[in-house]
Amino acid sequence: MPHDPSTSSRRQLLKSTACGFGALAWTALRGENAAASGSSLSINPLADKVPHFRPRAKRVIFLFMSGGPSQVDSFDPKPLLDRTDGRTMHFNDPRSVAKTGQGAPQRVMKALWKFKNYGESGLPVSDLFPHMGSVADDLCVVRSMATEGVAHGPATIFMHTGSTAFVRPSMGSWVTYGLGTENENLPGFVSLSPALGNGGPRNYGNAFLPAAYQGTPVGRAGIPAKESTFKNIAGLPQSSDDRRRQFETIRRLNAAQTSAYAEDSEWDAVLASYELAWRMQTAAPSVLDLAGESQATLKLYGIGEEPTDNYGRLCLMARRLVESGVRYVQVNYTDNTNNPSWDQHSNMPKHEDHARAVDKPVAALVRDLKARGLLEDTIVWWGGEFGRTPYAQQNGTGRDHNPGGFSVWLAGGGFKAGTAFGATDEYGFQAVENRVHMHDLHATILHAMGLDHERLTFRHAGRDFRLTDVHGEVVHGLFA
Amino acid sequence: MHISLHRSFRLIRAAAFGLAASAYGMIFADSNFASAADDSKGIAFFESKIRPILVEHCVKCHSVEKKLSKGGLRLDSRAAMLKGGDSGPAVSPGHVEESLLLQAVAYDGGFYDMPPDGKLKETQIADLRKWVEMGAPDPREENVSHSTVVASSGSAGSAGKDHWAFRPVGNPPIPKVTENSWPHDPIDRFILYALEKNRLKPAPPASRLAWLRRVWFDLAGLPPTVKAIENFLADSRPDAEARATVVDALLASPQFGERWGRHWLDVARFAESSGGGRTLLFKDAWRYRDYVIDALNADMPYDRFLREQIAGDLLSAGTESDRARQLTATGFLVLGPTNYEEQEKYQLRMDIIDEQLDTLGKTVMGMTIGCARCHDHKFDPISTRDYYALAGILRSTRTLANDTDNVARWIDTPLPASGELADAIAKHQAELESLETEAKRIRQEILRLDPKTAALSGDGPVDPADLPGIALDDSTAKAVGGWKPSTYGGKFLGEGAVYDEKRKDGPSTLTFDPNLAKSGKYEVRLAYVPHSNRASNTPVTILHADGEELKRVNQREMPPLEGRFLSLGTFRFEAGGAGFVLVSNEGADGAVSVDGVWFLPADGSAETQVTDEKDASRLTEVRKELAATEKKLKALRASTPVRPLAMTVREHEKIEDSPVHIRGNIKTLGARVPRGALSVIEGVSFSEIPEHSSGRLQLAQWLTDPNHPLTARVMVNRIWLWLFGDGLVRSSDNFGTTGEQPTHPELLDHLAARFVADGWSVKSLVRTIVLSETYAMADSATPEAIAADPENRLLARFPRRRLDAESLRDAMLMAAGSLDMTLGGPNILGAKAIDANDSGAGSIEYGYKFEDVRRSVYTPAFRNKRQELFEAFDFADVNQPIARRERSTVAPQALFFLNHPFVRQMAETTAKRVLDEIISDERTRLDRLSLLILSRPATDAEAAALLPVVRNASAETRRQAWTEVAHALFASVEFRYVH
Repeated sequence: MPHDPSTSSRRQLLKSTACGFGALAWTALRGENAAASGSSLSINPLADKVPHFRPRAKRVIFLFMSGGPSQVDSFDPKPLLDRTDGRTMHFNDPRSVAKTGQGAPQRVMKALWKFKNYGESGLPVSDLFPHMGSVADDLCVVRSMATEGVAHGPATIFMHTGSTAFVRPSMGSWVTYGLGTENENLPGFVSLSPALGNGGPRNYGNAFLPAAYQGTPVGRAGIPAKESTFKNIAGLPQSSDDRRRQFETIRRLNAAQTSAYAEDSEWDAVLASYELAWRMQTAAPSVLDLAGESQATLKLYGIGEEPTDNYGRLCLMARRLVESGVRYVQVNYTDNTNNPSWDQHSNMPKHEDHARAVDKPVAALVRDLKARGLLEDTIVWWGGEFGRTPYAQQNGTGRDHNPGGFSVWLAGGGFKAGTAFGATDEYGFQAVENRVHMHDLHATILHAMGLDHERLTFRHAGRDFRLTDVHGEVVHGLFA
Repeated sequence: MHISLHRSFRLIRAAAFGLAASAYGMIFADSNFASAADDSKGIAFFESKIRPILVEHCVKCHSVEKKLSKGGLRLDSRAAMLKGGDSGPAVSPGHVEESLLLQAVAYDGGFYDMPPDGKLKETQIADLRKWVEMGAPDPREENVSHSTVVASSGSAGSAGKDHWAFRPVGNPPIPKVTENSWPHDPIDRFILYALEKNRLKPAPPASRLAWLRRVWFDLAGLPPTVKAIENFLADSRPDAEARATVVDALLASPQFGERWGRHWLDVARFAESSGGGRTLLFKDAWRYRDYVIDALNADMPYDRFLREQIAGDLLSAGTESDRARQLTATGFLVLGPTNYEEQEKYQLRMDIIDEQLDTLGKTVMGMTIGCARCHDHKFDPISTRDYYALAGILRSTRTLANDTDNVARWIDTPLPASGELADAIAKHQAELESLETEAKRIRQEILRLDPKTAALSGDGPVDPADLPGIALDDSTAKAVGGWKPSTYGGKFLGEGAVYDEKRKDGPSTLTFDPNLAKSGKYEVRLAYVPHSNRASNTPVTILHADGEELKRVNQREMPPLEGRFLSLGTFRFEAGGAGFVLVSNEGADGAVSVDGVWFLPADGSAETQVTDEKDASRLTEVRKELAATEKKLKALRASTPVRPLAMTVREHEKIEDSPVHIRGNIKTLGARVPRGALSVIEGVSFSEIPEHSSGRLQLAQWLTDPNHPLTARVMVNRIWLWLFGDGLVRSSDNFGTTGEQPTHPELLDHLAARFVADGWSVKSLVRTIVLSETYAMADSATPEAIAADPENRLLARFPRRRLDAESLRDAMLMAAGSLDMTLGGPNILGAKAIDANDSGAGSIEYGYKFEDVRRSVYTPAFRNKRQELFEAFDFADVNQPIARRERSTVAPQALFFLNHPFVRQMAETTAKRVLDEIISDERTRLDRLSLLILSRPATDAEAAALLPVVRNASAETRRQAWTEVAHALFASVEFRYVH
């Protein structure tokens, strides 16, 4: 690459420092100048950063069960439902309350699956999730979740950003903003197979945080995992020789253009972005390529068999991504409808189809991470945007949305394994004991990552914003 | 990272204004906590920990405002808490044991267990205890409008009123400068004055080529045409005259409105779908987009432009077209990222108002007023009272047509249509109806001819298995409650029907789950047995892939299809999805009969096979007829005359002041605040609001008063920003106290005053700026100048800046000769045929393929799905007003230029253009190519980098080699920047 010797040190530095482009882009964004080049590298937006305090975990895998799995049919057994099945009682149904200000009579519906106690802990898990049951000793079930939003859209956006109505950065963006990434050749925040609906890109968007922290979608709901990859990582039908030649031509041309001008941090950032793009082209596809995985691993995740192949691939990709240093990976189980996946307003038995698609891969992921020693500093979060009612919707055969009480589970990352935390009332309707609001869960996961949710702020439009707004309490009881 | 707001603000206030400290000093003169630092810590603790507990759990029963002071106790002010209720003082500062409040929340049965709906969290109790130990610091005074959060008026205000942006716009004298030969316009003198003061010199003028490319992109959003380049280079007049000719032509071209309209669309957070949870298509938003473009092209005075957008429906209109334009303009208030499926509809209403206020505040005044929804603005002198004074105006304005539906709807207002159009619509409707009747008749005949379905026309039962699609007998439905079999009638689907039993324990329901194997649209038909004792309002719910629909069926009437079925409509279902049909007897005014449900594929795939020879020929014939009729129908539907509808607001039928919502909570209402404007703005009067008026017109007049200190300043700052990449006030959307100071305060006021004096003409101000010497400077600078002013705040050189997404796309299309320059009109494929409020319209967005080659301002601007180049290159965040877009440099952009098929295709087409020209040598050909892409010939260094590619190519690979060169030029740094 021909260049003016006077600018060589800086441009060489860019070439040799993998993430240099980001730093320079950052200074460019900030309107800072080349003069500050020495120090600018230290504020590379994606550089691995020091947390507020000693972290329990370094990375997050969020297994998003879109639509809202039913807690009383999975992780929150309620014997009273069996005894009162079919009886009509008054419940403060959230949809009814939102619309009319009061509840309505509802017909109690018992769990459709039997519960068993698993492992040494004896944690009860229903027959929906026998594989998850088999890793029960690694799960920390939170049975007292509560959240905002009665419909999918608001609740899904709230779960991701801490706000039902306003445009705020996604949790993965906050985490990447706080901690950077461990691999400069890959994005810090990846969302596998996200949906277009219920918030779509807002659910992995950086909102007002710098663009470096936006989530990178890989594939999308409806596209088979087999065909999912990073955008524009390939695309043109070119041989690798053609590809390299084209890249070299661009590189020569850019060198010719920039050498005619005084140093410019923005322009250098563009040059460096090409270098990184070139490296990503090599690094990224291989991370998502499962060809090198053993037969045993593929089998463990249920890859190559139905109905687990698709989610199995996504879970295995997630493991490979965190293994490569990606900070925050979301694995979506969803579709593009307004009533996504787990949304069984009628026909509760359909939960079983979804359970069969995710149960084995999810358990495999926990087991695999553990076997590789990754589970101790990786948080696995499994759950939906809300739960479901313990009574039948419109007296039918399904369950409606329930933001007032539901279950999620956490594994790894220093959470108390083999336990159930908090409780809903005796019907499994409202969280009553050790209630964990979604804001609290956000605060707690950030805490596990070594971030103080009250200090992880960003100044925008004249004020400091944070993921938890003015809410959120760290739930210390969840930690081992 | 910063310390969090709610902790820091009290500290800041204490430090900056000494307010919290002095208030504390007055109230807690007897306390042990005397130092100012401790005071502010205590107050901050109260604000962040204690106030939320009191508001959420206590004051709904213990406050004067709710006229509820249970047990004589009020907890809504400090004094009231110290006074206590029937049992004595609630709080004894510093004394944990004596504070009844703490005993109540302990929930140990010893005293009242409060709050009654459940024990507080341990952390909350610990916070209350700590607070009492601290001496119960509490800033709440008694006379605060009986509300817990509306601060006494003017507390923050008196300090903030001195802020420069709230002071009247001055008319500063033009400064004297040393280098008198440089300035062309007073603007140059202001710039030069600051440079000279800092011992800097302006850069020399840019080359003609560089200036031309700059001004074309800035005024038209396009690279200069080859002809424009040739003309300008050939113009032998002095620069000033030659430039003026170019600028006047650009200002007169419709491309000016497209370019500058796009800027305004960013500020107006324009989008063509609602985004968020359930994205809805804004089918008619393009009319607002065209309104903006037209207004810029017509150089509509900016004050009028604002008034039309805020209150166009209330302004008098001379002509029908004025009326149509003004109604369309109010789309400004409607186009936000509204969460139409919010279930709590009052919340939705207040959220919309908040979004409108946020947009108005930022767009017109550069102020963030949303903060004051929950509490007095922490930094700017905007009180909660001010917020609800404005909110009352928008509350008296209707933005939702219907706020009770599961998914609410905006207002579509029919625009005045000419008689011809009205006739065309009526004629079209009649033709459509007659063809539909014909198609229906043929379908019936096919059913009769087919032996399997022939039975439908008879009087006996039909086997569901014989029907195409999925037909479900009542016996296959999931029954809840009581259903009794019935054999009354005879035209059954399957065996017999059922009717409901009224029960006390809730409604009886039947759920039909089709378990469809194939995704797609299905016509849903309900079979029932009619009778005069039946319900006229049987509720039938259809849950489909795009939402939920409730239909009411009158079962006293004969089902129209063969006396068997009633069509409930056509819906989209996903294979294996959650779709179902639920028939209920809830609220039914008679017996409910159910015989079955039939899901008939709407794509015609369910045609039956005839086995009986003798009907075969007739059947073939009839099918041909059907195909022909359907073809005609399709064509007719595609040519539907567009009934002009615009998204608008209108005056609410109920005009009312808004109550304060304590902490923004819709359930805790305070006193009503008379409608009005921000109290911090002085010297601008707010006209009295006539009876039965929302006050929107008065608000629009107030905002556009020539003496308003913000409106003109904010706009001229943006115009500067759009020409120089940054405003004179760099925080262009924040002119409040937390925003930045102007770099050239006198220049800002000079421009603002001039703007108003020139009749708020945007074109005239743009013309003045781009013809200045400041705008004409080169982008180069000496190392000393860079060192002295690294951020180029003083403008000793022209600031380089990256092209925005639209310019990048348009420039590629233009280089390739592929840009479609059609002006205005709708541009979302498929949107015309769909109802604007149909939730199924979301699938248009999700499946959208961005394939048109029109200018980017017309590219569908969805909220949930972006054009890919836009997504990579910082297209405006369409969820909030934004004057200055992000200009990021990230690897996905490089990947886009390396690998996106669009770039390659543009490179190929552009290369073809120069290959088709008769040019003797390759260097000249490269110059031609460079002229198309970079608006200048190639440099020698570029030629040295690129020519080997084509020289090494064989005859077969020559085309590919030139494509590669064009691709490299598009991917080059200089293509991406104006400088």
